[in-house]
Parts: sequence; C-alpha cells; structure tokens
Amino acid sequence: MNLIARQISFLAPAAVMSAWATVMLHTIAGGHINRLLSPMFRNYVFAAAILLLVLSALHVLLYQPNPETDPAPTGRLRQFGRWLVILVPLVAASILSPSALSSTTLNNRLNSTNGVPAMPSMGPATDANVQAELSANPNQPVPVEVTDLIRLGKSSSQMTAFDGRKVQTVGFVIQQPGQPPKLLRWIMWCCAADAVPATVELSGNTSGNWKDDQWLEVTGTAQFPSTAGHVAPRINVDTIKPTSEPDEPYLSP
Amino acid sequence: MFFAAFDLPSSPVGAGISWPDVALSFFAIVMEGAPFLLLGAIISGLVDVFLPAGVIKDWLPRSKAQGIFAAIGTGLIFPLCECGAMPIVQRLIRKGVPPAVATTYMLAAPGLNPLAMFSTFLAFRNQDPWLMLGLRFGFSFLVILSLGFWLVRLRPDWMLRAETLIGPARIKPEMTPNPGLVLTPRPGQSLGGLQQFTGAVIRDFTGVLLFLVIGAAVAALFSTGFNRNLLAPVGQNFFLGPLAGIFLAQLLCLCSTTDAFIIAAFAPFSIPAKIAFLVAGPLIHLKLYWLYRSAFQARFVHALWLRALAATFLLTLLYSLMHK
Repeated sequence: MNLIARQISFLAPAAVMSAWATVMLHTIAGGHINRLLSPMFRNYVFAAAILLLVLSALHVLLYQPNPETDPAPTGRLRQFGRWLVILVPLVAASILSPSALSSTTLNNRLNSTNGVPAMPSMGPATDANVQAELSANPNQPVPVEVTDLIRLGKSSSQMTAFDGRKVQTVGFVIQQPGQPPKLLRWIMWCCAADAVPATVELSGNTSGNWKDDQWLEVTGTAQFPSTAGHVAPRINVDTIKPTSEPDEPYLSP
Repeated sequence: MFFAAFDLPSSPVGAGISWPDVALSFFAIVMEGAPFLLLGAIISGLVDVFLPAGVIKDWLPRSKAQGIFAAIGTGLIFPLCECGAMPIVQRLIRKGVPPAVATTYMLAAPGLNPLAMFSTFLAFRNQDPWLMLGLRFGFSFLVILSLGFWLVRLRPDWMLRAETLIGPARIKPEMTPNPGLVLTPRPGQSLGGLQQFTGAVIRDFTGVLLFLVIGAAVAALFSTGFNRNLLAPVGQNFFLGPLAGIFLAQLLCLCSTTDAFIIAAFAPFSIPAKIAFLVAGPLIHLKLYWLYRSAFQARFVHALWLRALAATFLLTLLYSLMHK
C-alpha cells in the first residue's frame, strides 16, 4: 500500500502536467480554442502544452519515488486533494463548455453594446478603404461584419457611401420583447470571459424559426437611421439562411 | 410573431446565470492564464539557478523609499501580467528582495506598464484619450505609491506565508508554493543545474496553478452571472459611480491590457466610475485575491484589498467632486 502511495505521489506532478498539456492540445486540434481565446493567445497555449510535456518527461527522468527508508511525508492526502483541484475542474470545463455563450449571458452584457468600439474587417477606417470595398464588386453584396456597420455609422462620409448598399454578414439573430430583432456578434478582446456583444438592428423580411445559437447569413440593405443624433445601423433584410460556424466565431482586434 | 421559438428572458436585469457559460469562461480564463503562469515559473527557475542572492542585493537601493520608487519604475518598464508575476515575486523574495519592494513591483507591473497605457489610449480614442490615460496613470501611481509606503512599515512575517518567508536561505520542499510536493532527485545525476531548474519550475507552476484554478472559477462565476446593467443607474452618480466602477472591477477580473476596451464601451458609467474601474482592477480583484493568497497571509491580502480600494475611491471621489 505504501509502495503504491509512493508511486502515486511521485507520478502525480507529471500526470497532472501531462493531462493539462493533453487538454490544451486537444482544444487546439479540435478547433475549440477559437471559441476560447483571441488569435494572439493561441500560440502561447500550444507552446505551454509542449513545455508541460517536456517538464513531465524531465520530472520522470530526473526524480524518483521517495525511498521506502524515508518516513512517509505528512499531508499526503492533502497533496492528493490539491492535484484533484488542479485537474478535475479543467477536464470538466473542457467537456462541458458549449460552443458559444448563451442568451442568458448575452442579456447580462447586452446594454453595453452602444459604445462598443467597432473593429473593422476592412483595414484602417479611411474613406478610400470604404470606397475600395464598395467598388470591388458592384453587383455582389459587400461582405461586412456587424462591427463594420457600427463603425461606418460613426463617419458621415462613409455612412453616406454605404447607405443603401447590399451587404452580407453572419451572426446570431436575437429577439427581445418590445424591440426589433437584432443580428449579434460577440467581440473578444483576450478570452471568452471578456466577450461583449455587438448588434445591428434588422428590419424587413426577418421571419424564421431560428434556434438561439444558430449561425445565420443575412443579406440585405445597409441603412443608417438617426434618432436624436444617435445613429443605429440597420440591415433591411432580403434573406436569412442558416450557415456554418465561421472559422473565427468571435471578432477580435 | 417573429422568432417565437426563442426562449429569451423577459428582462435583462433578471437574466440569471448559465452554468455552461460559466464553464466556458472558466476554461477560457485558465487557458489564457496558464501559459503566462508557466512563463513566470520558468523565469523564476532561471532566477533560482543563475541569479545569486548577493547580486540581487547589490542591485537594490539601500533606502526603503528608494526601493519603492525603483519597484514602481521597474513596473513601468517591464510589462508583466498578474499571473506571470506571482512565481517571480515569490522567488525574488526568497532571494532576498525585501517583501515591500517585491510586492510594490507586483502591484505596479500590471497597472502601470506601457501595454496597459497604450490599450487605454486606444480604447478611449473617441472619448478624450489623453485625459483617460493621464488619470489612469496618475491615480494608479499615487495609489501604488501610498501602498508602497504602507508596505515598508509591515513585518515580513505579517505579510507572507510561512513557506515564502525564508529570504536567501536554502530552499526546502516545505518552503515552496507547493509544500506537500516531494521531489527526490535520482542519485548519480550530473545534471544538478537542470534538476534544480526543473524542480523550481514544477513547484512554482503547480503551486500557483492551484490558486489560478480557484480564482478563475470565482471570476468565471461572477463575470458571467452578474448583470452589468444593475450598476447602470448609479454609474453617473458622483458618489456611487466610483464605487460601482470599483465593484465591477472586482467581479469582472479582467487583465490590465483588456479592461479599458470593456469599460470604454460601458456608456452608463461616468469618467470617475471608469477611472475607478481601471485603477482598482489591476491592483486586486477576485481572481487576484486567490493568486495573492499563494504567497501572502490572508490578513495581509484583506488589508491590501481594503487599502487599495479605499485609496482608489478617495481619489476618484475627489475628481468627481471637482467636476460635479
């Protein structure tokens, strides 16, 4: 019994570090990392996983079980509990984590959207960039992100250039009582814990029986109505159809 | 009726909590924090092996006041996140750096570093960025300075956990962040340095990792389940606004390079409320509370918490009154 306990005590650090590395690598390989961290942090997770595997190997190579001649260390059970606290929540979270934040969390964070600084997917926010996007393919809807429309709404010249133009974008559709439906996209600065929602209003043909977390592609006309000096970008919808989850579920700076 | 199938709450204030979202947030926080914690443990291991205690002592200023200014100055230059700082600060203390100086650096590095200032400027670029940058830097500096001069008056044994409080003495297993971890070197190894380095990294990483896991769980619970709209009605109040900013910072547990983007978008908050959020958050919040507990006594962390938040509140309240 004592021998088994000594072996467990010896192998526990390497096992826990290897388990962390395995969860990290599995999260990267399965693409779930895209739902957790912004792109700049993902390589750090990969590097950490490799280093943890190296440390695990070094631990086994450089150290050995406590000799039987030594007295059994005190607090062995407590130490075992520490390893469980380090390991069990991680494994549980990796299994239980959903693919996207739910509408419950959305409502806890939703009112902060008015001031969300938009992050353009079209490069620096200059009139020339906007004009280039508009003239790139005049017969096709311009692919934009929700945040592009919010940003355009802050520049009168760019807003004028884009007003009435067909656009195409993806996101979740949400409906709150007494409010028009909205297209939502989460913005992530570092990780999913700090994600905030960005929304634009939808009007027109918005009918459909969509699920809460279903990715949808919306095509329609960009509009920038102003109420009391506040511009609220809107898409007058032509079509809404289900689509696959984008490679990057969150928008990141 | 459009979207009749949606099961959305009727009121944002009563939104409640989604446990799968808590799991997602927890997973994201530990995935983000663990690499930096490991980096901190590796630097700590390098310090252990390659930096003799005497050298560090020679570098340090002789007077305590100069030491506090030096710690703040180092925090200004070397960007270090909260998670990565903990193993390094503990190692520096074991190498003989006065706890007050090391702790001041730990407080200054996240809040005053150039990356935090740059992100503040970017986040507020449409909302008077120089004012926000100046207020964040100025108030953070004053709060950390006041904490530094409080720290030099404290006895190390009142601040630190017993296992941290060994100064430059030889490190024994029971004096590490993971006191129950027994590492028995294989005999006949000629890799003494590598063995020492590996042992230091494993002890520091796994020791602080426990507190990161606990802190991340608490942070995920509150950052996901707390409805920020509850604070909106008091966000513009000259007295309650700064309190609301401090309170929100404690719950959201954001990194100092991210917090400005989140709070810049929070329209219901006044400038003093936003500044209180930006100053208090990097000093201490629910996740940091647990990380600090890996090195410090509970009574010290509670006192630090109280003083950091009180100083932040007083400064932002003063600003609030001047601009009422």
